[in-house]
Amino acid sequence: MRNTFINTIIDTCKTREDVFIISGDAGLGVFDEFKEKQAERFLNLGVAEQNMISFSAGLAMTGFKVYVYNIIPFVLYRCYEQVRNDICYQELPVTLVGIGSGITYSPQGMTHYSVEDLGIAQTLPNMKVFSPIDPIEAKLAAKYSLNCESPVYVRLAKRGEPNIHKNENFDITEPQLIEDGEDVAIVFHGSIGLEVLKAREMLKKDRILPKLISIPMVIPINTEKLFSLLKNMKYVITVEEHFLNSGIGSMLSREYVKINPGWKLFTLGIRDEFIHAIKDLNGMREYFGISAAKIAEYIRKKVTV
Amino acid sequence: MKLKNVQISKEIRKTIIELANQSKSPHVGSSLSCVDILTVLYFDVLNLHPWEKRDIFILSKAHAAMSLYSTLATRGIIDRKTLAGYYQNEGTLPAHLDRFTANGVEVSAGSLGHGFNMGIGMAFGFKKKKEERRVYALIGDGESQEGSIWEGAFFGSKLRLDNFTAIMDYNNLQGYGRAREICTFEPVKAKWQAFGWHAVEIDGHDHNAIKGACAEDTQGKPKIIIAHTTKGKGVSFMQDQLIWHYYIVTDEHKNKALCELDSE
Repeated sequence: MRNTFINTIIDTCKTREDVFIISGDAGLGVFDEFKEKQAERFLNLGVAEQNMISFSAGLAMTGFKVYVYNIIPFVLYRCYEQVRNDICYQELPVTLVGIGSGITYSPQGMTHYSVEDLGIAQTLPNMKVFSPIDPIEAKLAAKYSLNCESPVYVRLAKRGEPNIHKNENFDITEPQLIEDGEDVAIVFHGSIGLEVLKAREMLKKDRILPKLISIPMVIPINTEKLFSLLKNMKYVITVEEHFLNSGIGSMLSREYVKINPGWKLFTLGIRDEFIHAIKDLNGMREYFGISAAKIAEYIRKKVTV
Repeated sequence: MKLKNVQISKEIRKTIIELANQSKSPHVGSSLSCVDILTVLYFDVLNLHPWEKRDIFILSKAHAAMSLYSTLATRGIIDRKTLAGYYQNEGTLPAHLDRFTANGVEVSAGSLGHGFNMGIGMAFGFKKKKEERRVYALIGDGESQEGSIWEGAFFGSKLRLDNFTAIMDYNNLQGYGRAREICTFEPVKAKWQAFGWHAVEIDGHDHNAIKGACAEDTQGKPKIIIAHTTKGKGVSFMQDQLIWHYYIVTDEHKNKALCELDSE
């Protein structure tokens, strides 16, 4: 999905003169051709994230539509105050393209994970946030960002994810029904959706057929649409590759108390602790209880249908 | 011309004193420090016509906002009514800059080490668009301790932004001490030169020197003007006094300061 997102922006550079891409010394294999062929629209601002963000804000003020590409901690954490003051407070059309969502980079270590980025993004008014499940959602998020006057943050996994959606004809700002079901709904965002799909297969023999809902636009969530999709459910389980304390589980809990919709809400995600475990992505997902098998096991325990 | 600008600087200083007194806001010393620089920029250097194609001035050391607001009012870019709403309940202008409040407030700033880098981005943008607009950013000596300044310094020279000028208001008196005592500040000119910048060192209260430094050709390099200044300049009891980073201007202070400025 990383390449799909970036290629959508790169393609647009052929027809739009105002699009500019900045990298913080990341992107081997992503920009190789672009930086040769359209060198005038690309800049590597090195390992200097504070400058990278303020610079992008300044560039946006001269009329450019700026994309900033980096690993999530280096596009949102290291330079949080620059994102807050220079991009969001000034309401500039800069899109932060963050890669390595959640624990995608396992076992690179805690410094390279992004398990609190949605919590951070929630503190930034004006910022729209996307967390696509597949290349199609990534492409539509890219198209949205190209026409968006607000700051945008896109949370991408890496590359090689298969397409889940069958077509591109949907509104990327709305929660998406991926599979229909009864009584139980699983709400998720990002590439962990692939585990959720597998979990659904596993649950078939238990005669549990959850409805699956992807939330590509995580901030703001279209709650009206989401709650209409969740109508008549008995159980709703959120699954995400993010800390439990500040992801969509937490966001949905806040909406839940306002609306009191009648279903039971359970939240699955990464425990709120610094990660010292050394495992590959599958092992890490297992460890945190968000692998397909663990999701299925959890639902079997919680749900009576 | 020289005399006229000196008179303007005096008027701006008086406006700052009045404003600080009415608002009971701090940073009067920081604001008085850079008045001569702002006077020369706004009355001699910046190309402001047509407004859409104007040169950009960024007050990166945005705690000196009273200086910018007073200069903008004196130059006729904002009106006196807007100025009077500074730091007031339901007012018009905050103590640190919000670009949505008034014409001439080019960027929102207050946290140090942001405006300078935004300015570099803007200068790059103007070059990309082949626009002849120039960008000036005023930074503090305290602000120069921010790592982001040096991140920007790396790239300003690499990108050959000769349309960008940074001016350092070097009053050697920051929030809680002197730059030269707090860290290895000197040799600061050599530091900028080592980063590939055209560096000029001047008396930051000498209008001709400021104007001359702004006009200096840099052979493709970005420019840093290291302007030696005195915090609280123009009011004897405020000059080079740390407390005037924070102190509130009482009526007594105001009368004494205005009297002194008038008798100059």
